Amino acid sequence: MNIADRLRLVHGSTVLTGREEIIPYMRDASYFSGKLPDAVIIPGSTGEVAEIMRICNEMKVQVTTRGGGSSLTGSPVPISGGVVISMARMNRIIETKPSDSYVVAEPGVRLDDLNRELGKIGFFYPPDPASSMAATVGGTISTNAGGLRAATYGTTKEWILGLEVVLPTGEVIETGGRTLKRSKGYDLTALMAGSEGTLGIITRAILKIWPLPEATGRIMAYFREIAPAGRAIAELKTRGIVPYVAEFMDRLSLESIRIAKGLEFPDEAQYLLLIDVASTVESLDRVMDRAAGIVRTFDPISIATTRNREEMERMYEARKGLYSSALSQRDSPDEYVVIGDVVVPASGLPDTLEGIREEAKRFSLKVVLFGHIGDGNVHANIFANLSREDVRKNVDGFQMSIAGIALDHGGSVSAEHGIGLEKKDLLKLELEKRGSSYTIDLMRKIKSAFDPNGILNRGKIFD
Amino acid sequence: MKGEVEKCVNCGFCESVCPTLPASGFRSTMGARGRVDLGKAFIAEMNNAGGSELKISDSFYSCLDCFACLQVCPAGVNAGKVSGIGREIAAIYGQHALEKPVARMIVETTMKFMNPLGVREKCAGWAKGLAFDSDSETLLYTGNMYQLMAYSSSLGKLKMRLGEKAADFMAGIISRHPAAARLSGMAVDRRMRRQMDAFLRDIYFLLASAGLKFNYLGVDEPYPGTFIYDLGYRDKFLEYGRRIISIFRYHNVRTIITVDPHTYDILNVQYRKYFSDFDFRVVHYLDYLRDVRFAGNGERVTLHEPCHFTLREGNYSGPSELVSGLAQLTFPERSGKRTMCCGGPDELLFGEISGKISEERFSQLKSTGAERIITACPICFANLRKDRTVIDISQFLVERLEAGAVPKSS
Repeated sequence: MNIADRLRLVHGSTVLTGREEIIPYMRDASYFSGKLPDAVIIPGSTGEVAEIMRICNEMKVQVTTRGGGSSLTGSPVPISGGVVISMARMNRIIETKPSDSYVVAEPGVRLDDLNRELGKIGFFYPPDPASSMAATVGGTISTNAGGLRAATYGTTKEWILGLEVVLPTGEVIETGGRTLKRSKGYDLTALMAGSEGTLGIITRAILKIWPLPEATGRIMAYFREIAPAGRAIAELKTRGIVPYVAEFMDRLSLESIRIAKGLEFPDEAQYLLLIDVASTVESLDRVMDRAAGIVRTFDPISIATTRNREEMERMYEARKGLYSSALSQRDSPDEYVVIGDVVVPASGLPDTLEGIREEAKRFSLKVVLFGHIGDGNVHANIFANLSREDVRKNVDGFQMSIAGIALDHGGSVSAEHGIGLEKKDLLKLELEKRGSSYTIDLMRKIKSAFDPNGILNRGKIFD
Repeated sequence: MKGEVEKCVNCGFCESVCPTLPASGFRSTMGARGRVDLGKAFIAEMNNAGGSELKISDSFYSCLDCFACLQVCPAGVNAGKVSGIGREIAAIYGQHALEKPVARMIVETTMKFMNPLGVREKCAGWAKGLAFDSDSETLLYTGNMYQLMAYSSSLGKLKMRLGEKAADFMAGIISRHPAAARLSGMAVDRRMRRQMDAFLRDIYFLLASAGLKFNYLGVDEPYPGTFIYDLGYRDKFLEYGRRIISIFRYHNVRTIITVDPHTYDILNVQYRKYFSDFDFRVVHYLDYLRDVRFAGNGERVTLHEPCHFTLREGNYSGPSELVSGLAQLTFPERSGKRTMCCGGPDELLFGEISGKISEERFSQLKSTGAERIITACPICFANLRKDRTVIDISQFLVERLEAGAVPKSS
């Protein structure tokens, strides 16, 4: 009996095998495409997930777990067929307890849906990847997603209190708990963050939540160069103003947004610095004035402030959709988009960006640059016809080169997208450069302890 | 289709708003992104192998055409448009069993009787005893939409009871012998017919209150062909639309007053696009009510905005403008550009999905705490009338007419 028939005995119609039904599960939001899985299954409970894992483990069938399918590194792409488990049906918010600062959610809850619910009681879950409309609780834990608010609130790992995890053997474990403090041996909760579905399947998460800021305002400053924008952010932080959000976009990004959302910008602008400030209602104007005053000293082409929610929301949505809308800048429909994701200490960002610009010229690549200037995270959308071997090699060379620049500035090859299929070589590069290659051996040993038959998302993070 | 799908980077934003995805148990190809993915695969196979064995029909036919996906797509991809083209492909390749038998049945019956169920005469019953001005160049055009709900609702339930295969078998027979469709006249939800007839009479009185004189074609009134267009039968739509235009010309029509969003949308957008001589003025009846004397009160109401007014090309805000001036209007969480479809367009082909969507939307509307839920589309009304608090906007407005504003004929 094949795996699909075996699963169907237990799970009936939630097992999909028709080619037209399972094609979408071969891809995430990256340019990677995997093999057609043998079956896709959409379980509705932890018990069902455990049963599926017992069967797959017994039959030694590869399993790939899928959340919102918004990964940018090929993490949920089934490279060896097998079974894809979609967590989409497990999408309930189980418990919300603001007095104890947590919410309990299933892995398929999308982040925007979670925050819409929390917003009704004046709270929010701070991790805010640009993909939050599609990204799920489980998926963002698995990639340790960051996002637009990371400069203030950090990444996902800082907001997970506990997890329920189904192991490849079908056993169910609980890590962490409902308390803000815990010290109980190895921190398996933290280990799951960024593990990309290689160790277990998250079936429930206890997440820390935070009161929404009373008021927020926005500063939009346009510059000819990125260096003064970077120095402006450094100065704000030095003076004790930590931006709620601090983003930058280059000229091509602004042109993409103009096409997608009709948002205009000054003709001579090369960069936009977007800063959100959060404060109390009474003090927001004062903080905004002070922040805008500091930014003005770095001679922007123009600067504007607003507290208009609708206006702020429109730009925020445009920024979040930039990965997709930047596609308007490609020269041919044959071109795919490859997104870079390096990070440096925030003060090193202007130099890093200059370096990336130089390398893009050297590799003759069209690149759209944007990212989270508040935490030194640069995204580079590279357009390339990846069906051509020479182009693929050129893109790989560029990626290695910008990774080298980030490492030279004390940064990392991956800020918030994870490793997946895309950055395995880059991860090796970083660890070699830091003299820490043994780390990968350790990761392999940890995986082996969790997954003795190697059935979970094999080939991701490392070979 | 190629031009549309190649804009997509697969970010998945569209899945978060697509009503059919959760209603289908989160099967990806029954959601917006999956439809685009399937479109990509279909094109690749057609280009590489000259043909495709992919069974695309369920995915593309189940799309509600609400265009919620388009509102959130940063790259401007319209999975609804992809589905529409997919249905055209299914219609062209019908002999390869890609098309849905029920779709074929609806099209064949409409072509024969100018009504999807062959019940055109019954659709004129609401106007019995009402006076119209047969010399007027202004036509009240119901498009049979309100009237058909009493039949489609019953047929949807019947199809659910029969099961997919038996329903497809019956649809196959009717496609070959459209006259058999007239038997569907026996399957009528009488209570809904009374309600729908009453709404149409309300619309008549509202227009009369505005001092308007207009014609109505009665048993000669044809269905506008919306199903034919939506189901992807483009050639048939071109032939059918030509017949509709001839009928309007024969009756010296210059202005067409529509009463539902689907007819308003198809005449204003698709007819203008496909027929260069479609030069009629198309208005919605609410536009004539700006100067009618209504009396507001403090009733707490909510409004279910129809997709064809809010999310598609028309962008018509007549219902919310009128209602907000006459009651305490609270919108549900999903409103405006985030409004959610009632599930109605799937009723005949995918009854279970349609049912789940309407339950979800009804629950969202109820959670506003409003005393009554107002709809502005017969399909929405038919799908959302889970209790007596759901009413059509025409009923709401007639209740608000100031004393003396209602003509004696009412």
